[in-house]
Amino acid sequence: MRSRIITIISGHFKSWYRSKSNIFWTIAFPLLLIVLFGAIFGSGSTKFDLYLQNQDLSGNVPTPLSQGYVNVLNQTGAFNLHMVAAEQPDPLTFVKNDAQLHNRGQRLLVVPLGFNATVASGKNATIQLFMDQSDQASASLRGIVNSATVSFSAKIAKVPDNLIVQPVGIVTRNIRYIDFFIPGVIGMTLLTTGVFGAVNTNGRYRELKIIKKLATTPLSKIEWILGMVGYQMILATISLVVILFFGYAIFGVTATIDIYTVGLVVAAALLFPGIGMVLANFVKEAESADAAANAITFPMMFLAGTFWPRETLPDIMKLIANFMPLTYVNDGLRAALIYAQPAQALTNMIIALGLAAFFIVLGSLLMNWKEE
Amino acid sequence: MSDDLPSPFPGQSDKVVQVEKLSKKYKDTLAVNGISFSLSKGEVFAFLGPNGAGKTTTVEILECLRAPTGGQAKVLDYDVSKRSDQGEIRKRIGVLPQDFNAIDRLTVRENIDYFGAMFDHQLDADQLIELVDLKDKRDAQFKTLSGGLKQRVGLAVALVNDPALVFLDEPTTGLDPRARRDVWYVIERLKKQGKTVFLTTHYMDEAEYLADTVSIIDHGQIIASGTPDQLIDTHGGKKTLIIRDAGEEGLKQLPVGLPKAELRNAGDIAIPLNNGELTSILMSLGQTPLHDKEIEVRRPTLDDVFLNLAGRRVSEEGN
Repeated sequence: MRSRIITIISGHFKSWYRSKSNIFWTIAFPLLLIVLFGAIFGSGSTKFDLYLQNQDLSGNVPTPLSQGYVNVLNQTGAFNLHMVAAEQPDPLTFVKNDAQLHNRGQRLLVVPLGFNATVASGKNATIQLFMDQSDQASASLRGIVNSATVSFSAKIAKVPDNLIVQPVGIVTRNIRYIDFFIPGVIGMTLLTTGVFGAVNTNGRYRELKIIKKLATTPLSKIEWILGMVGYQMILATISLVVILFFGYAIFGVTATIDIYTVGLVVAAALLFPGIGMVLANFVKEAESADAAANAITFPMMFLAGTFWPRETLPDIMKLIANFMPLTYVNDGLRAALIYAQPAQALTNMIIALGLAAFFIVLGSLLMNWKEE
Repeated sequence: MSDDLPSPFPGQSDKVVQVEKLSKKYKDTLAVNGISFSLSKGEVFAFLGPNGAGKTTTVEILECLRAPTGGQAKVLDYDVSKRSDQGEIRKRIGVLPQDFNAIDRLTVRENIDYFGAMFDHQLDADQLIELVDLKDKRDAQFKTLSGGLKQRVGLAVALVNDPALVFLDEPTTGLDPRARRDVWYVIERLKKQGKTVFLTTHYMDEAEYLADTVSIIDHGQIIASGTPDQLIDTHGGKKTLIIRDAGEEGLKQLPVGLPKAELRNAGDIAIPLNNGELTSILMSLGQTPLHDKEIEVRRPTLDDVFLNLAGRRVSEEGN
């Protein structure tokens, strides 16, 4: 059994490296994307999620100046403001949980109790901005909050120097766009090689009667699938190593490869060929295979936060993104490789492994090994 | 064969393939309709018929790729319907599926090794390369080969486990005449080695040239079985005397009292021959202006057998 699986892996691998187009799409294309996106999108304008707790209430109603400040923030058009109740005793923990639940950045702006009185009396007031420093949007976000605050002070309170925004770091690492992008490219490469690999191989091998021929030998369907998955794992490892090395060499991206990274790569090497196998069941001709694989991979690539943070998407798209398997691979890889957030990496890894088990079993059940 | 059923093949265990009242239905189509036949060790058996006759369905049932709807079939004494027997059958058969292509970017040798690795026991790839006469192409990638050479790789792949029975499904379809001859040559070598070969084809000349026994199948039913000579003698009709390029003028010059002659497309005159008539007809032709024309006696072929039994000919494309 072992030698049969190794033979299948070796056959796929030889076919892969002897095809220039395969090498291009698996290695050169992701590297090209990294260079292009790294050069073009070093920074960009987005609408950021921001939690806001206004503690300055008067009889359960925000004081005029604190409400005025919130209005100014809203008018920038740069934020999706999510209000945290003033009576919430531990707003940071609340934000952490809620942000994770809704897949938002962990950012909290606290307007303190007495804000109205302090500003009106011309004294210094401090607004605290809690941010996850690993959030690639932190620098832009802080800049916008500062500008809005200065504008509010000058035009409404007439005390431009008395309002201070005090940034409070939650995590200390600075994340650039390219740091955000590299795990996305890895996820995208695992997606495309996995789905296209499975769809094309099964479609083409079926058309060439290779699968029919193999079905007349002692090879079992499960051995065939294990061989394909093993081959995908090798490709995934090559992609991971090449992209990380390239990211480090060109952009100085430093990544942490840990057990979660390995788990996520294993999950992706099962998950995406599994999706491909399910898809291949509905594609009877090799020519239709590319179109079908594109129809699945392209929307997933864009919605799952490969290129830009998902929070820039409309709400309905954010909701759809939650159903995209790539979302969990991307988030998990980012959490493991870049953000050093083991809890998030673990959560995403578990989800990705669960989806992988589901799709690989479904793909195996649907795959028609003999009678067509 | 199922243990709880009486054997439909009493005393026939020397048979490599035994098929009894086999049928296969796809939705509303009865592809194979209660056929029975058998195949002995060392025999080249041709399953002959047009496209859609039920050849490939039958072969794929015997290869354990499809489940029969009715009847029974044994391959090498194992029941194709029993899951436990199917594994034993797969170990012992070699298969060249219709329209098979090996893996494009692997070389000839790598392809043979690839498929060989699926079996516990495999023949030496170089020996097989020699058998199918592909020594010069040993390290060429499969995608660079011509159709005929590709089919020879398919033959080598079908033989890689030293099978007791080789299924060749339409092995020369789509090949040019020379490539077909090359494939025939390889099959002849297998025959000389004593391999048992189950060949499906729609080419009548192929079956006639290669097969020891032939079963003709049409619309899912076997309409005749026997050696090519037996089939021709029984169902082929009369021999025909052909006078080449005689034209309509030649028809008028025929001696009076000859059997009914007809003019064929190329201008040839065809005269059906009864036993013992040849000498007298030749003598009478010698006294006419036709005596200097090219004359030949054409023996009926399996084409004629099929025409007489099915009422139509099978085209080059198999329809």
